[in-house]
Amino acid sequence: MPEIILKNVSKRFGKFVAVESLNLEIESNSFITLLGPSGCGKTTTLRMIAGLETPTEGIITIDGKTVFDADKGINLPPIKRDVGFLFQNYALWPHMTVYQNIAFGLENLKWDKARIRARVTELLEMLRIEPFEKRYPSELSGGQQQRVAIARTLAPGPKVLFMDEPLSNLDAKLRMEMRTELKRLHRDTDSTFVYVTHDQLEAMTLSTRVCIMENGLLQQYAPPLEMYNNPANVFVADFMGNPTINFVEGHIGEGGQLSFGGMKAKFESIAGVVPKNKDVKVGIRPEYIHIDEEGELEATVYSTLPSGMETTVKLDVQGTPLTAVVFGDVDYPVDSKVRFSFHKAAVLFDKETGKNIAKGRILL
Amino acid sequence: MDQAQTRNFQASRLKGRLQAWFSKPANIILLVFLISLAVLTLYPLLSMLTETVTIHTGREARAAKLTAGSLSLYHFERLFATAENDYSWIQFYQPFLNTLIVSVAASVIAILFGGVVAFLVTRTNLKYKKFVSAVFTFPYIMPSWTLALFWETFFKNVNIGLKTSNGIMASVFGVFMPEWFVYGAFPIALVLGLHYAPFAYILIGGILRNMDANLEEAATILKTSRARIIWKITLPIVKPAMLSTFLLVFASSMSAYSVPVFLGSPVRYYVLSTKMKSLMDSYPGQAYIIVGVMILFGVAILLLNQKVTNSRKQFTTVTGKSGQISKISLGKANRPLAIILVIILLLVAVVPLITFALESVIIKAGDYSLSNMTLDFWIGTNLSERLDQGDSTGILLNPKVWNALVYSLGLAVTCALIAGTCGILVGYGVAKRRGSKLASWVNSLSFFPYLMPSLAFGAIYLAMSSRIPWLRGFLLLGLVGSVKYLPFASRSGVNAMLQLSGEIEEAAVITGVPWWKRMIRVIFPIQKSSFLSGYLLPMVSCMRELSLFVLLVPTSNTILTTMLMQYSEKGWAQFGNAINLLIIIVVLLINFIVNKLTGASIDKGVGG
Repeated sequence: MPEIILKNVSKRFGKFVAVESLNLEIESNSFITLLGPSGCGKTTTLRMIAGLETPTEGIITIDGKTVFDADKGINLPPIKRDVGFLFQNYALWPHMTVYQNIAFGLENLKWDKARIRARVTELLEMLRIEPFEKRYPSELSGGQQQRVAIARTLAPGPKVLFMDEPLSNLDAKLRMEMRTELKRLHRDTDSTFVYVTHDQLEAMTLSTRVCIMENGLLQQYAPPLEMYNNPANVFVADFMGNPTINFVEGHIGEGGQLSFGGMKAKFESIAGVVPKNKDVKVGIRPEYIHIDEEGELEATVYSTLPSGMETTVKLDVQGTPLTAVVFGDVDYPVDSKVRFSFHKAAVLFDKETGKNIAKGRILL
Repeated sequence: MDQAQTRNFQASRLKGRLQAWFSKPANIILLVFLISLAVLTLYPLLSMLTETVTIHTGREARAAKLTAGSLSLYHFERLFATAENDYSWIQFYQPFLNTLIVSVAASVIAILFGGVVAFLVTRTNLKYKKFVSAVFTFPYIMPSWTLALFWETFFKNVNIGLKTSNGIMASVFGVFMPEWFVYGAFPIALVLGLHYAPFAYILIGGILRNMDANLEEAATILKTSRARIIWKITLPIVKPAMLSTFLLVFASSMSAYSVPVFLGSPVRYYVLSTKMKSLMDSYPGQAYIIVGVMILFGVAILLLNQKVTNSRKQFTTVTGKSGQISKISLGKANRPLAIILVIILLLVAVVPLITFALESVIIKAGDYSLSNMTLDFWIGTNLSERLDQGDSTGILLNPKVWNALVYSLGLAVTCALIAGTCGILVGYGVAKRRGSKLASWVNSLSFFPYLMPSLAFGAIYLAMSSRIPWLRGFLLLGLVGSVKYLPFASRSGVNAMLQLSGEIEEAAVITGVPWWKRMIRVIFPIQKSSFLSGYLLPMVSCMRELSLFVLLVPTSNTILTTMLMQYSEKGWAQFGNAINLLIIIVVLLINFIVNKLTGASIDKGVGG
């Protein structure tokens, strides 16, 4: 069972640092997402594990076998790492038919003809693309091309499957459909998936664990919901969730006395120690701001954005902007007054370092 | 960790890095090309530079009153600063000035003619577009002297030039053209301009064709007039392409040799290239200095061109949405304009061929009656009994001609195979390691031969071969041709590879397909037509090349083009015209066959 371990892996292009001493353990059979904005080093990391890129420093092992070690000069080519790779723009060979595309890798592994035929047929069925066997990639739609690419990657039966933003070229509806199928595929193939994306929703919905990166540095490596509810720092909190989390600057005094955005409250910790006399940023998820008649606080409606299932309401609390989400569609008139309150948990971040200090409740 | 261990680690780290570096075929390719191109371009350049300060045996040593082989700046002093008998003026400054005038004029003609036709074809509802577009690249496919020879044969008369015979204009129409019209700056510039107009047509036309229609439509919405849109929107967008064309045509005209030889030398009108050739026999030192000047010009133009194409003013006009471009209606002017254009193109592309055919069958110059015609110059025997000059058999029965044809074809195929294959490899290496220093060095080095005027390039290889005794004959010609045409092939190779996303190859790497198989089974088939253009262009260029080989051929009978040159110098007009026609037919045939078989075409690679 493959388990991938990265120890102090770095990659520099000249002076530019793409990945900085990354440590990561990917458990077998997990679905890991490397998440971050473009240029954060997530694709580089994936390519280094696959063997398409050579790290500058560090050690990589797959399934107990060292595939790269800068100090010992070990560097196995991709084929010896037993991995599959799904590319962003599919990289289907335009001069080969669907069948040839899938079979090419197998021919290369010196499989006999009958076995190749059987395997390709199996994959064509599995991905529901049998009718297109003799077509060329240019004669297929984006979604069909994507399926062919997946079939081609799965053909040799790799134990680890790498995917580099495989859904970003599809339209929204198809993307949703493919997500469902990828998750299904993960279970059916019984292999380890490492997935790169900049779409936090994709990371949330698909993965067993998310590795979030910024500027080549690992920010947090945790299951998606834990990351959402207890982000390690301001960057992670901001990146996860849509609409994005509210940040309100404030100060915490003695005994958890919190003043923020012109409001006064008591902060009661659930996790972590509440500091004394410190400038902080308070992170509040929009869905934890409830708008109702009984709310302790008053705000002015700046704008309302109904989307059917839910409505995003932009509030103005004495000059501090806050975003709230209400279930169902409610249309508040602009500049009308509403009452609201804080529910569940908020997170305190150090204003200077941006690090998570404590998670707790805001009591008014 | 003790010291020994640390050292051990460092050694294995270094070993690992080197292994990783050398495991990538792109790195090996780039390294090999860096070294071999440095040897093949910089070494000859250096040996040429030494020639400029070396005193050569013979007239040079006697004139300089120095021992042969000694080093001196005598050549520079003699060429640049000798007032006596206007020596410097006649040998250098006058030809230099002529070169500038002719090249600038040719560039302007090429841009005006090519640009206007490109605009008409891409932006208006002009009639006979297909014909115009197909015939327009003809002059570029044909050897550059075709038009020059046509011009001379058509307009010459007994009052001017070599005063040998009357051309069609004088003998048939009785019109005797003045000397300035037939020989010198005017016809040279015109012929070069027409020959290189396809550059402008392809470069400017490409931009006009791909230009986003929205750019013009946005202006139309703002109630801008048609004329103003062309002037304020369209022209500024094609300006970089126009500038690029100007520099390319300027560089090509400056190094042109055959056109000024045909249209300048009879009236002692010299440009740098023809002057250099005439100095080469007696004063090689000074000739090599002229070569140096021409190379400097070439480099300066390339740098300028790079600055133009890299600057922010190079607009990205290709967009995802290629909307229907609204065509300008030419109204009543359409048909007359189209007919005039077709006539001009026929004059430039078809009439010369007919003229050569005609001139190759008449016995006495100037008489175009049927009784004066014979096929003897093609298939006749025992001609020496009937003629006072020329070979004894017609060219198709002359073994010398067949030998030269086979030699020329062999040379063209060899150069095409070497240059084309190297071009693909350079393209692969450069595209894979894009952005690295190594890649940009190899890229520049592979383009370097383009800047060297053909004649100058031949000259520096001549200088180099004088030091290497085994570098002779076919080997030397094949080598110089392959290096000289590498830029064409590497350009199309780099472009083709850059269009190909790296993932296409990586998808094969993942399944462990070895490098050679990736090249043959994946990369080559996808970009087949671009790569084949990379083979076709060197082949066609080589087949009709004169100036590159003229200094290097063992005898003038070796290849067809030098044979033509020799016949033309001897005044054997009919034989010359027949051979000329033979060359053109072979070149067009190659182009046609390759185009039909593979879809590759010349215009895909034109424009460097």
